[in-house]
Amino acid sequence: MIRRITLTLAFALALPAFAARVGKQAPAFTGMDTHGHMHSLSQYRGKYVVLEWTNKDCPYTRAQYDSGNMQALQKEWTARGVVWLTILSSAPGHQGYMTAAQEDAWIKKVHADPTAAILDPTGTIGMAYGAKTTPHMFVINPEGKLIYDGAIDDHPTTDPFDVDKAHNYVTDALSEAMAGKSVATAYTRPYGCSVKYATEGE
Amino acid sequence: MLFILLAALPPLHGRAQATATAPHLTVQLVVPPAQIYPGQHFTAGLYFKLAPGWHVYWSNAGDSGEPPAIQWMLPPGITAGAMQFPAPQRLPLGPLMDFGYENQVLFPIPVHVASDFKPAGSAATLGGKVTWLVCREVCIPGKATLLVNRPALAGAPTSPGNIAADAQLIDQFRNTLPQPLPASDQAKFQTTPTGFRLTVQTGDHEASAEFFPFDTGILANAAPQPVQPFGNGIKIALTKDQNLNSTPQQLHGVLVLSNGRAYEIHATPGTLALSAASPSSSGMLRIILLAFVGGMILNLMPCVFPVLFLKGLALVQSSSEERHKIRLHGLVYTLGILVSFWAIVGVLLALRAAGHNFGWGFQFQSPLFLVLLSLLLFFLGLSLAGQFEIGLSLTSAGSGLAAKQGYTGSFFTGVLAVVVATPCTAPFMGAAIGFALTRSAVTSIAVFTAIALGLAAPYLLLAFNPTWTRLLPRPGAWMEVLKQAVSIPIFGTVIWLVWVFNQTAAAGSLVFLLSAFLLLAIAGWILGRWPAKAPATVAALLVLAAAVAVPAWAIHTLTPTLASRAQDAVWQPFSPQLVAKYRAEGKPIFVDFTASWCLSCQVNERVVLDRPEVQNALKSSGVELIRADWTRHDQTIADALTALGRDGVPTYALYPANPNDPPHLLPEVLTPGIVIRALDQLKSGASSTATSGL
Repeated sequence: MIRRITLTLAFALALPAFAARVGKQAPAFTGMDTHGHMHSLSQYRGKYVVLEWTNKDCPYTRAQYDSGNMQALQKEWTARGVVWLTILSSAPGHQGYMTAAQEDAWIKKVHADPTAAILDPTGTIGMAYGAKTTPHMFVINPEGKLIYDGAIDDHPTTDPFDVDKAHNYVTDALSEAMAGKSVATAYTRPYGCSVKYATEGE
Repeated sequence: MLFILLAALPPLHGRAQATATAPHLTVQLVVPPAQIYPGQHFTAGLYFKLAPGWHVYWSNAGDSGEPPAIQWMLPPGITAGAMQFPAPQRLPLGPLMDFGYENQVLFPIPVHVASDFKPAGSAATLGGKVTWLVCREVCIPGKATLLVNRPALAGAPTSPGNIAADAQLIDQFRNTLPQPLPASDQAKFQTTPTGFRLTVQTGDHEASAEFFPFDTGILANAAPQPVQPFGNGIKIALTKDQNLNSTPQQLHGVLVLSNGRAYEIHATPGTLALSAASPSSSGMLRIILLAFVGGMILNLMPCVFPVLFLKGLALVQSSSEERHKIRLHGLVYTLGILVSFWAIVGVLLALRAAGHNFGWGFQFQSPLFLVLLSLLLFFLGLSLAGQFEIGLSLTSAGSGLAAKQGYTGSFFTGVLAVVVATPCTAPFMGAAIGFALTRSAVTSIAVFTAIALGLAAPYLLLAFNPTWTRLLPRPGAWMEVLKQAVSIPIFGTVIWLVWVFNQTAAAGSLVFLLSAFLLLAIAGWILGRWPAKAPATVAALLVLAAAVAVPAWAIHTLTPTLASRAQDAVWQPFSPQLVAKYRAEGKPIFVDFTASWCLSCQVNERVVLDRPEVQNALKSSGVELIRADWTRHDQTIADALTALGRDGVPTYALYPANPNDPPHLLPEVLTPGIVIRALDQLKSGASSTATSGL
């Protein structure tokens, strides 16, 4: 009952009242990664942070990983000092839910290279940001402000062969911000599968 | 996995295939004409038949999802226009909201054959690569190459034929496309702090409406869209997307009204004056009749009973008078009731005009009103019990007026009947008043007049029917006994009022009200001990003034503490967000709109809702239980009641699991059977919706 009420409150409050807004301070969060380490947004103040919502069984996410595009982005930007956090908000029993060991194995298998993969089975972080889809991308600047919220690219596709035709919004946002420019496309409709949040009573 | 298999399937050349079966759906390219020839225009279609619970998407898919698409492969000279999208439905997924279609949908596509079309052979192959995303909880993308072969002619045939099955499908779904808004209708929007207020004028009374924006990033998809129905249109409150920083030039989207009418609208900034137009005369007559019956039933409600007793008593005293005098008393009593109702409707209309949504019974949320009424009744009770005689020296207060003999007495007894009847919203009454308050002033007054006449009818009949008057007992010593007996229900009502006062007023103020009763008893004693003596009357009046002043001062001084009624563990306190949230999640909800001053509510809760078998039925049906306690005025609850077309409590709303289904209102007088049946219907209704059309 208590848990139910907590969930109720979380749902009632998280969307849309406290959801992240471009140009505003990004919502603070703390989450545990697959190695049991805690990550807080505040500890990355001074760095660019990318949040990537994922669900390895979602065809849209799969297109990004099957094409190698997501891994390439992770390698490129983490090498340039960006903190890349892959977040799993699928609830237990729902598509895309992973234990720490499973997620770790999967990261190795697909050669993914995020700074960390955060497990968020309660959907707390997802709902704080209003993460709707997988992939749904957020970019936070060194001052902790949200500078991009939306789709990974302009080509909603489940076909890995189509991914390289797409124009990547995350690359744009990071390049523009690092060059001291304002982000031209700061908000797009995120495409993909819905984030598999817990439905009530679970 | 299935997706990979499907993607790996080689394109189906060789034999043209119009239909493909994929996981959870079949998709068919529908081409009605039997021949293809130059200069031809026709409507083709992409037809999806979906497994229960699975859906495909509208052009704006909402928070997730993608609409189907077709990449045409057409012979030279044949062109296909854009795929058209029928009016969608809201598809909630936890806290998210998608827009799309369940069961089956046909997307029409206009096709044109050029006038210089030259058939390459005896047949033309029309088709293309269709891609889609089908989702329930999980999503499965699919693609298929659909091809249709038709004989190709070099010129138009004398009698062009149709493939019956295909033509029938196109016809069957013709009405699902949104229509342009008729020229006589208008749509405007205003910007509000949270979004937009969309006003649509259709000329008809609109009970429900949903707006689907064509563009993404304009509205918060999952936000509920509360509506305000009018006689000639509807207003819809829309919540904007949190990242929307500029005001759009127009709101472009599909408006779905009740019974499935769908219009494509381009709302421009501005507003429209919608009127609360009067309904059809037959509907009006039915409502007035209902209001009259409701008024009559008010006579039987416990809170009006004491007044009826009083009135019966007055009638007994009148039975020796001449017949025309009795009739006049009846008419004056009716007038008293009428004037009170007109006063109430006048105040309600004024308040409504001022933008307030106060409901019937609202007066019982004012502690001062409760104080005055309980003091009045207590004083009246003392007099009836024989402590003193009203009318000998005191003619000031309403109690004196009501108990007064003659026409003034009759008039104010009528007034008193109305005042006391207020909290007992009898069966049918809530609906009638809800109806009245959403309609024009004329309709409201007509409905309230009918209620007033209904309330007055029994006494009026008695006064006018000589036979019935003769049936009344002869005057005698028993009248004093009866009068004293009448004081018992009066004191009972006082106890109830004090209990209500205790629920609404500040914590420490009860003792002041009870002290005021003591002062009344002292005043009554003075009046009884020294009847018709000027000094005694003055002394009594002073004590009376103190009796009113003491609790009034207490209310004024003691800050009200918001000690809301203790919520039962199973009942969650009401908030519109909570209701919206459960609706978005596809959970059935039962909302009990109640108040401690509402006797019918208490009876329903104690006798029906708290009963173990009803509790079990509620638990096993998985319905979320929400209690909206209106004991104190709460604007959000008043708004929720207005949205349901009601203005008072008790109101019981049962929301089906499907968020697109409207809530079902239960009667105001509940029985365990009514509640359990409604819950059963909820279950069977839900399963039949899920399987319909398949």
